[in-house]
Amino acid sequence: MRSRGTRMVWIVVALVFVFGLLALAAIAPDFLSTPDLDRIALSPWEAPPFGTDDRGIPLLQYAAQGASIVVAPALMSGMVVMLLSTIAGLVRCAGLTWIDGAIQVASELVGSLPRLVVILVVALILPSSWRTLTPIGLTWALLAAPGAMDEAASTAGRLGGERFVEALRAHGFSGVRIYLIHVVWLNLRGVIVRQGAEVTMHVVFLEIALSYLALRRNEPSFTHADSEFSWATLLYQGYTALLGSDLIHSLWLGLGLVAATAIMAQAVRLAARAR
Amino acid sequence: MVRLLAALALPIVVPAIITMVLWSLPGHPAEIICPPGICDGTEALAERWNLHKGPWHFFSTWMSNAVQGDFGKSWRVQQGFPVAELIFESLPATAMLVGLALVPLVVGGVLAAAGWIPKLLDPLWQALGLVPAVILALFLAAEIEITYGALSFGGWPGQLRLLLGALVLGVADNALSGALVGTRGVFEAEMRQRYVQIAVLRGESTLSNALPNVLPALIGQFRARALHLMSGAVVVEVVMGIPGIGELLFDGTLMQDFGVVLAATWAFSLLSALLLGTQAVSEIAVALWVRSSPGGVVQGGAS
Repeated sequence: MRSRGTRMVWIVVALVFVFGLLALAAIAPDFLSTPDLDRIALSPWEAPPFGTDDRGIPLLQYAAQGASIVVAPALMSGMVVMLLSTIAGLVRCAGLTWIDGAIQVASELVGSLPRLVVILVVALILPSSWRTLTPIGLTWALLAAPGAMDEAASTAGRLGGERFVEALRAHGFSGVRIYLIHVVWLNLRGVIVRQGAEVTMHVVFLEIALSYLALRRNEPSFTHADSEFSWATLLYQGYTALLGSDLIHSLWLGLGLVAATAIMAQAVRLAARAR
Repeated sequence: MVRLLAALALPIVVPAIITMVLWSLPGHPAEIICPPGICDGTEALAERWNLHKGPWHFFSTWMSNAVQGDFGKSWRVQQGFPVAELIFESLPATAMLVGLALVPLVVGGVLAAAGWIPKLLDPLWQALGLVPAVILALFLAAEIEITYGALSFGGWPGQLRLLLGALVLGVADNALSGALVGTRGVFEAEMRQRYVQIAVLRGESTLSNALPNVLPALIGQFRARALHLMSGAVVVEVVMGIPGIGELLFDGTLMQDFGVVLAATWAFSLLSALLLGTQAVSEIAVALWVRSSPGGVVQGGAS
């Protein structure tokens, strides 16, 4: 009972954060409002909910635009990893050994280069019209997939693999019930969802990192259009606050959003833990 | 065997793929640096950067020159400057950064395996590891710039940047927690094996029995961590202002300098191939050692 109660708490926390992020993305304006020099660097209690920046623009607009940049690509990347992990787990249970071997070889090849190096090469060769987070996030997902697939396959292997399926068949269960309910839902769910949540979180962090690095160089980011602003802008403004400007609330908001992303991923992971 | 082949193929495959993709993009590669609508002389530039005779000519010439340490000239980062010089200037900083970051991971792993770092602290390392490298680096870079101002790039502040950068790399993005939990996990799983328990009954050392069997897994983990650090080095170098290959690669990407990106990626692929080759050779050596050692162990235990 206690475990079920804890799981419910994590499910509620995960839902709150996921819907919070979606709501933030939904209210994102296409363009930031016009600078208002009478409202420069106002604190959150002077200009609720988050205050304004050094041009008098509400920080809420930055937070919302940042959410709209990351939500779809990050969730899509998480889904891709979850789908591929599910396939790898099912393949192990179905006893298709040649696919197992192929996954191991792919894992070896894909895992042999530093991920960020591959991401930068992809960012370089993308035509400027494709410069969004989606291809970069999907590349990250593909780079993370072999490891996730390997873990899902190992979990299915520990479950008994082919023998587990045969035993359930002997009970007269249908293939759909065996694979979807007994294998995926009851046993692989924890691993699959954790991998998906981690990749979702990593893609959000990747966007922040790439945009922050571009900001440091005063160059346009390759994860979004020039008219949009990432959460990295909040952190960069916060960095200038550390050096003496009046925007420390921007740093707190940026850190809060990063923490919210990490908590969301952890909550989803804990909510989906296997019994 | 697959690893050994991958290690040999990696330094050839990586530039080949980049060259292929460069030519598969819409328009001629020279048009990236000199779009026809904006500037004249695209053909002259194509000849200058050796792009005029097609992908195979470009790749074969680039590879044969690269083997001799000549990576051509930078297209944009420092236009006309030899890329080899940029790479060789950047290499020591990245090697130092990754090398220093590996120290806490290796020491932590050994201490965790020996049981000197209690399991109770694992949630602490894991919580710390959730912090992205960019955030931690941001704070430390600000601290250095506040303390040392405009002089923060040379002398002691420059070395401090390197040390703090290594700390960020070693702690952030689950690097340390992965090393502690991963190494301890491998040893714990092996210690539960029956042969280790029998070795204890014989009065033999558990470490000498278990180590050969866990070594391939440990070497694999070490390679994964080194790759993870090399990946994170890009972020840390740019944020902390450390002039390494990661920073060079990022600048090359931002400025669409294929000359620099190709060479920097090739340098990373060489390092990766080296790690992969080391793992493959170590695994073969361990397998040979394990095959030959049981006789010695039994005799030692019996006497």
